[in-house]
Amino acid sequence: MERETLQEERQLQNAVVRLNAKLLGIVTGLLLGIGLFLATVVLVLKGGPDPGVHLGLLSQFFPGYKVTFLGSFIGFGYAFFTGYLIGIVLGAVYNKVARI
Amino acid sequence: MELLPKTRVELRLRVHLGPHVVEELTTPAQQTTIPAPVLLAFAPLHRMALGAAAGVVYGGMMFVLTEILVLKGGYPLGPNLALFGEFFYGYSVSFTGGFVGLAWGFGVGFMLGWGFAVVHNLVIWVWLVIIRSQAEMEQYGDFLDHM
Repeated sequence: MERETLQEERQLQNAVVRLNAKLLGIVTGLLLGIGLFLATVVLVLKGGPDPGVHLGLLSQFFPGYKVTFLGSFIGFGYAFFTGYLIGIVLGAVYNKVARI
Repeated sequence: MELLPKTRVELRLRVHLGPHVVEELTTPAQQTTIPAPVLLAFAPLHRMALGAAAGVVYGGMMFVLTEILVLKGGYPLGPNLALFGEFFYGYSVSFTGGFVGLAWGFGVGFMLGWGFAVVHNLVIWVWLVIIRSQAEMEQYGDFLDHM
């Protein structure tokens, strides 16, 4: 019994989580995309003379993005793509180093 | 004929097996002890791997964002991104600053990823200890009732 427990503990210590890079990419992409979409929509709904001055700076990296209702969909696309790339790279590098 | 007193004899055998044979003997036993889904649920994260991965992502982002602004040009050059210079000594929105940002980003990302994995593994370990102690309590809780 005790030997089995020790063996199980050793197996758990030796085991390492492997990441599914594609899945991680989709999850990260969705998180970033929905996050930017919601942030933009909230600022648009709040309104004001010049809504989202700081969030609008993202247009430096995401051409076409604006703090408008249409811009929130464009932002979702850009952020999803960026998040997908981040997830893919994160998963790929992790799995490669973990295998060493 | 004399009877010898009963003694306990310990027989030790040393068998030399090649690595291939040892692997064949040990692998199936190890595989069957813990089911794969359980192993997957409780397996720890690789600290160095997650650190390296987060470092590559963060450092790469710092580099790419800086160089995009440098290539676009204009004046002032990236006043908002340049605020990272307050924390990352030597960083500025310039061509060489992109490489400084890459190094800083890798360092900070590595620490974040490594720290995340350490905390994740610690929580899993505590969780396992709690589950195991609960299971033992259930198994031996009525021990005195059977006396």
